[in-house]
Amino acid sequence: MKAAGSNAISGLGPHGEKATPPERLSLSESEAAEAHRRRFEIAVVLHTTSSDWAKQQLAGIVTTLGRYSAAVVEVVDCNFDVVRQTREIERLTRYRPAAIVSIPIGNAEAADVHRGVSQAGIKLVLIDNVPTGLLPSKDYVSVVSADNFGLGQMAANLLSPHVPRGGVVGIIAYGVDFFVTNERDIAFRKWMAAERPDVAIKRDRFSTVEDAARATDALLRANPTMNGLFAVWDDPAMRAVKVMRERSRQIPITTIDLGNDAAIELARGEMIKGIGAQQPYDQGVAAAKVTIMSLLDRHTPPWVVLPGLKVTATNVVEAYQVVWHSPAPPELMKSRRNGERQG
Amino acid sequence: MTAKETTELQMPQRSKPRGGRPTNAAAALAMVPHRERVRAIDAERQSLATIFGILQARKTSTRQEIEELSGLSRAVVADRLATLLRFGLVDEEALGRPTGGRAPRLVQVKAAAGLVLVAVINESLLGVGVADLSGNLLVEHHEPIESNGGLNGMVSRLETLFDWLLEQQQGRRRVWGVGIAVPGPVEIAAGQRFGVAGFHFAPNREDMPLVERLAHRYQAPVAVRNAVQMRTLGELRAGSGVGADNLVFVELGREIVAGLISGGRLHRSAQGTAGMIGHTATGEEGARTCRCGNVGCLEAVAGVEAIVDDATHAAKEGRSRPLADVLASEGEVTVSDVGVAAQRGDAFSAELLSRCGRNVGTVLAGLVNAFNPSLIVLGGEIAATGEVVLAAIREAVYRRSHPLATRDLTIVRSQMGSSAELVGSAFTVIDDLFAPDFLYGWIAQGSPRKHPEVAELIARAEAKERHRHSKAPQPPAIGGPVDESAA
Repeated sequence: MKAAGSNAISGLGPHGEKATPPERLSLSESEAAEAHRRRFEIAVVLHTTSSDWAKQQLAGIVTTLGRYSAAVVEVVDCNFDVVRQTREIERLTRYRPAAIVSIPIGNAEAADVHRGVSQAGIKLVLIDNVPTGLLPSKDYVSVVSADNFGLGQMAANLLSPHVPRGGVVGIIAYGVDFFVTNERDIAFRKWMAAERPDVAIKRDRFSTVEDAARATDALLRANPTMNGLFAVWDDPAMRAVKVMRERSRQIPITTIDLGNDAAIELARGEMIKGIGAQQPYDQGVAAAKVTIMSLLDRHTPPWVVLPGLKVTATNVVEAYQVVWHSPAPPELMKSRRNGERQG
Repeated sequence: MTAKETTELQMPQRSKPRGGRPTNAAAALAMVPHRERVRAIDAERQSLATIFGILQARKTSTRQEIEELSGLSRAVVADRLATLLRFGLVDEEALGRPTGGRAPRLVQVKAAAGLVLVAVINESLLGVGVADLSGNLLVEHHEPIESNGGLNGMVSRLETLFDWLLEQQQGRRRVWGVGIAVPGPVEIAAGQRFGVAGFHFAPNREDMPLVERLAHRYQAPVAVRNAVQMRTLGELRAGSGVGADNLVFVELGREIVAGLISGGRLHRSAQGTAGMIGHTATGEEGARTCRCGNVGCLEAVAGVEAIVDDATHAAKEGRSRPLADVLASEGEVTVSDVGVAAQRGDAFSAELLSRCGRNVGTVLAGLVNAFNPSLIVLGGEIAATGEVVLAAIREAVYRRSHPLATRDLTIVRSQMGSSAELVGSAFTVIDDLFAPDFLYGWIAQGSPRKHPEVAELIARAEAKERHRHSKAPQPPAIGGPVDESAA
């Protein structure tokens, strides 16, 4: 088993591809000069533009494309709505930018519209999610992703020391068929089964973030002796924290994504004990590079993956700086100081 | 026809409307003597199979089209469709194009009525998926194989992942079949359907009867087939090969193996070993001895190990600066590194891949002359390195083949990766399930799980599993089924 927190990539791509690290993406001086000369136009389609993750991702994309004289002609916020995404991509396909960078919302329902982008002769670069059935080179150029399998293993590794022998661990899994969260769920279970076979795993699923509270509640009712919890991303994790507090329970939780609230909870030394963090800015940089490479007809790797960062109360402030490219907010600093005093 | 079969044949008569009133056909049958009743049931089963076969082949049909194509009366078609609808095997929700009046309803096979679990296993990777009855993968997942779990650990992991897929799809009771793509030849008898009974995962591994173990666990027929053949079938049905009748798929990896499609059908060959082109002599006398014991085999001069060896030597001897840098930072050089270096203008890497391509192309030219395909699909790690190797393969094939054989020949790189084996495995199972003679055996029961052959297979599997467990307790699995009681 590869060490969690190392730079090793644990997961394989959606079609079993081996991961290519972003360091392998490079453009020669002559290629950069050609990109400057051709002044590509690129559209970006995101599930949302309001989350910190999306803002950083977009910043990485826009900054890097700018360096190659490529213009971001439009950024679409789909507000997590696959119907809206379909409509917007159809409109963009008619507008015919040179490339579209997109995060498909959902699986089967997002497949056809994304397939249509390549069919219209527009390069398509995917972030994180590949609808089942779409193929690299044919339907899209590359998918640029976090190592979600590695992140799931990391979350299990971080939770394990807080779970007693023979304990019960709950998983709050996403009930929607989504490659990213599927990989985290599978990896968490795999790590636990291999390294902590004494632990019993129980699971409930939520279909919307709001539903995560109900899923937590159901898990707690069915498993009153639960000793640990894994939530597949930070927002449902914080909903779980709220439910636990309401029920006066104190259960160790690990999750993925270094959102503000989860980071503060971690720094305070409260229920969140560890986080596997993505690097959205760097992921955006990689997505932009792949886009330019494909527009220059360079062969592009089908599966570009960035390793996760292992975050605990000890390194949360530094990790925040790495992930968000900005200083930790005062509230996080205060939480860390309080956490240190209590610890 | 035995008494037992007669009883089974009468099972569809249980399919009364929910209110309990027998169908017209059932009521009528109760009034006639036994022998005629058997004949009538047989006719009913035949017509059900005919109608379902038409729907399976045509994807959608109106009732009128079914009547025309089957030659059955409107009343019979209506009665049989009612049965199929009741079984949940077809739906009639889509609307066709109106021809003057109201838009006709379209009848189609309900792809979600059954699920097929599929997997690909090779030396380094385990891929799993679940497909619907149209062969579409609904979910797939690939992961590296852990070397420390052994054979039993790997099969346990496969079962854990299958269980997870079924939890996701809430489909444990809808498993109609399991298809597994494995490395190496799998000998199939002529007309053999589904699993090779008693197939053991590795030679002399009596403790790993894969077919029986999975059939017992999922209560469904299991097909085990050679991975390259499955990948070839996947390319034909869902990849670059759609529409091609004569196709060659070539896996360019550690092994170099070809799969052949002739006249739209997979060529399985006498012992299942067709396509081992990696053991064709190239005439090059390299230092490497092939797995087969010979020297100069294509695999030994152009396979992954040959490329990695040559690249590593070049990196150590300073003949390639980019490869030396990779070796220094990563501790090893991969085929992918050679591809990246070639793309960025490293002369050594470009020549290494070109030489590999020329050797592969020369061997393929012989195959092209003998087999005359219209399409060659190249897959595997070496094909994924990019255009340098592809260009060299194309050049050698076109130069060394007869001009007539290459007149309409296209050579492309595969885009499906390991998904191709999953899709091929799904279609292998689906094709067997819907083969007319097999369909006839289960259609009146509403599910292939009730086919006498499947029931026998499952019973045999259960007996074998009981025997195996009584002889030796199972070692602990890597990850057992997950309790979802709270969900």
